[in-house]
Amino acid sequence: MLFAGLIAVGVSFVAPFVWQVLMSMSTITDVDLLSKTWFPLDVRPENYARVFDQVGYGTYFFNSLFVAGWVTLLQIITCSMAAYAFSRLRWPGRDQLFLLYLGTLMIPGVVLMAPNFAIILQLGMFNTYAGLIIPSAFSAYGTFLLRQFMLTIPPSLDEAASIDGAGHWRIFTQVILPLARPGIIVMSIFTFLFNYNSFFWPLILVKDDNLRTLPIGLLQFEASHGRDTPLIMAGSLMAMAPPILLFLLLQKHLVKGVQLGAVKG
Amino acid sequence: MIGSPRRRLLIALAFLLPNLAGFLVFTAGPILVSLWMSFTDLQLTKHNDLSDVPIRYVGFDNYARILWGDESHLFWDYFGNTLFLMLGIPIGIAGSLALALMLHAEVTPSTARGRRRGVVAGLVLTGMMCLGVWILTTPGAQPSAPEMSTEIGLTDLSAWQVDLLRSRGAVLGAAVLGFLITAGLAIGPVFFRTLFYLPNLLAGVALFLLWKTLYKPQGGLVNAGLEPVLGAFHGAVRAAPSFLWYASGVLMWVGALAASVVLIARGVMKLRHGEAGGAALAGRLLIVATLSSMAAGAGYLLVQAPERALLPTGRTMLDAPALSQAVSAAAAELRASDPEVGTELLLRASERLEPPVSVAALSDYVDALSGPTAGRAVRREALSLTEPTYDGLTSGDSLHPPEWLIDEAWAKTALLIMGIWFSLGGSTMLLYLAGLANVPPELYEAAAIDGATGWRRFINITWPQLAPTTFFIVVMSTIGGLQGGFEQAMVMTEGKADTVVLAYYVYNLAFRDQFQLGLASAVAWVMFALIFVLTMVNFRFGSRMTNE
Repeated sequence: MLFAGLIAVGVSFVAPFVWQVLMSMSTITDVDLLSKTWFPLDVRPENYARVFDQVGYGTYFFNSLFVAGWVTLLQIITCSMAAYAFSRLRWPGRDQLFLLYLGTLMIPGVVLMAPNFAIILQLGMFNTYAGLIIPSAFSAYGTFLLRQFMLTIPPSLDEAASIDGAGHWRIFTQVILPLARPGIIVMSIFTFLFNYNSFFWPLILVKDDNLRTLPIGLLQFEASHGRDTPLIMAGSLMAMAPPILLFLLLQKHLVKGVQLGAVKG
Repeated sequence: MIGSPRRRLLIALAFLLPNLAGFLVFTAGPILVSLWMSFTDLQLTKHNDLSDVPIRYVGFDNYARILWGDESHLFWDYFGNTLFLMLGIPIGIAGSLALALMLHAEVTPSTARGRRRGVVAGLVLTGMMCLGVWILTTPGAQPSAPEMSTEIGLTDLSAWQVDLLRSRGAVLGAAVLGFLITAGLAIGPVFFRTLFYLPNLLAGVALFLLWKTLYKPQGGLVNAGLEPVLGAFHGAVRAAPSFLWYASGVLMWVGALAASVVLIARGVMKLRHGEAGGAALAGRLLIVATLSSMAAGAGYLLVQAPERALLPTGRTMLDAPALSQAVSAAAAELRASDPEVGTELLLRASERLEPPVSVAALSDYVDALSGPTAGRAVRREALSLTEPTYDGLTSGDSLHPPEWLIDEAWAKTALLIMGIWFSLGGSTMLLYLAGLANVPPELYEAAAIDGATGWRRFINITWPQLAPTTFFIVVMSTIGGLQGGFEQAMVMTEGKADTVVLAYYVYNLAFRDQFQLGLASAVAWVMFALIFVLTMVNFRFGSRMTNE
């Protein structure tokens, strides 16, 4: 009984995707047929290739991976270093500053949009990769997540390293970072996914077609080729591939991450 | 610890510097700047490098303008829309909990041997299903004589071709079902968990575009499924007088209200008498919220039913005078921006279109000819010209499914349903799964000795044990709900059909309508205030609920 229930719910989650695959291999004129027959008249896998010819899909794809990749890399560096300072070092003002970091997590993202836009304009980063990447390269949430993780690493380990004469930089890179790897993986997945799907910021920041990321590119694609449903479906299916691959490869970490954020948060 | 405080501070700052610099410039700084902006008339079209108009400090004027000035209806409308979409939260939470319970029940084989058997059984079943469907549905040889063709969408097909495609579709369906069963048996809960989590993982423009096609009035999956169901209802709606439908809708609302009051009152009584704790009360609140959102929705549908059956839709046919009137309205609208296109539309449409033409066909035609603006104009005009009578419908035998994303009365509901689909298997489900795994098994053993099973076991053990998880989920989804909705509305309706939410309002003010950063910041801060207040309310309730 319960198994049948799971299968039924499963069908409702799978059906839209199956339908999307069918649509992506149909033709413009036949696409309405699918809701009645669930099978296209001609199967056209070449739609997937056509997406790249019609719009700068390859560029959008590259931009999305490029921006999300850089943001993730930079966040790993900035957040892990900051988390080390917050979890391993003792210095005046530490707890107050950490509280300030935590406090900003409560502020909705839209509050930041207008001033950040003005700041980016001032810095001359409007409509550049730098403008897309740099504001996201520092995250209070990532710092918080990694700090929580580093607190669970026993302090005896770095004390031992310290007695052996290791400096802070060596302790950080050779003791703490390797041990914090699971936490860093979790943070990286979240960061990558979030920035890969990011919509609001690229929407307001980018004007040139060759700087568009996938979400913005897809939206533009839909506006210009709205009637060519098969192409749009092929484009959006391909856009879903990286997150699915990432999830399948790292899903254990991700599930743990969701739960970690909750228990400690 | 080694070194003086000063030295330690310097070392810490060295580690902190990259992050702190970014944090100050792009997070902490902007928060202060935004607060300052909200008290000014900052507008990038006025205040920029090219002009030297000073930025004026306007005190609370921005807030006054939004909340009770001439434009205040905008804010309150959008706030209402936001709250409407948040109705999905209790349904999503309840559904996620149900899914988590189903996954937790370990219904699939857990031993390696059982799994191997499961795979074999699943594969055999899949093969049999596909073969069976293939044999049963494949039509015979193609008739040699030419057949009458039917039109589906834009394609002409013979009946034989339709049967063949349907048969292939059915085989595909059997294969997918077989795959789900096999994978479910082989991999177990992890497989379903992954599957249910997919929408959440992919939530973004790509998946919203898929939902946009699901909701298409013609050729969309949702309406293709609804049409036969509604066809059956239509007779009933036409036969019964319309007040009956209003009455049953209102009854639904009253009933939901009464049931809510009774449920809550009983919960409060029990809490007073110490028979049950705060967790039980919170559980009741959740149940009440879920049921009443659903009942409110159903009541709304019932009340709308007669009007829906009466209203002209895309299939309404236009006769010659109505057609020319609708086309000239669209042409007039177009002429305002580009006289040539408008005139050309007028000429071409009167040449090519022969009445009677359906509204949908006309708007599609105009759409293809001169873009969506004219398409919408002609559609609006055509619908307003048509008398709302049953006779206006070509296929008078079926109640038409809604034009989800186009119709103001339905667009928000469409977004709400989509939101529930997204949230069912998301983080909420994962959190509940973790919560369920942490319930001490001794509690269930003790309950088994007392003879408690099923529902009682859930109410007395599982639910109270999950209280902290529920609390966290409610807090997070309230915060998310108040901020959310922008991307969906932007992609699916472009904010039309009354789907603008608060975040969208900020976007419109700041980046669409003359870059009014000052006013936009004020709206953002009002949002923050709302979030803050609601979070505090949640904490008041939550601390009572979790500390017992």
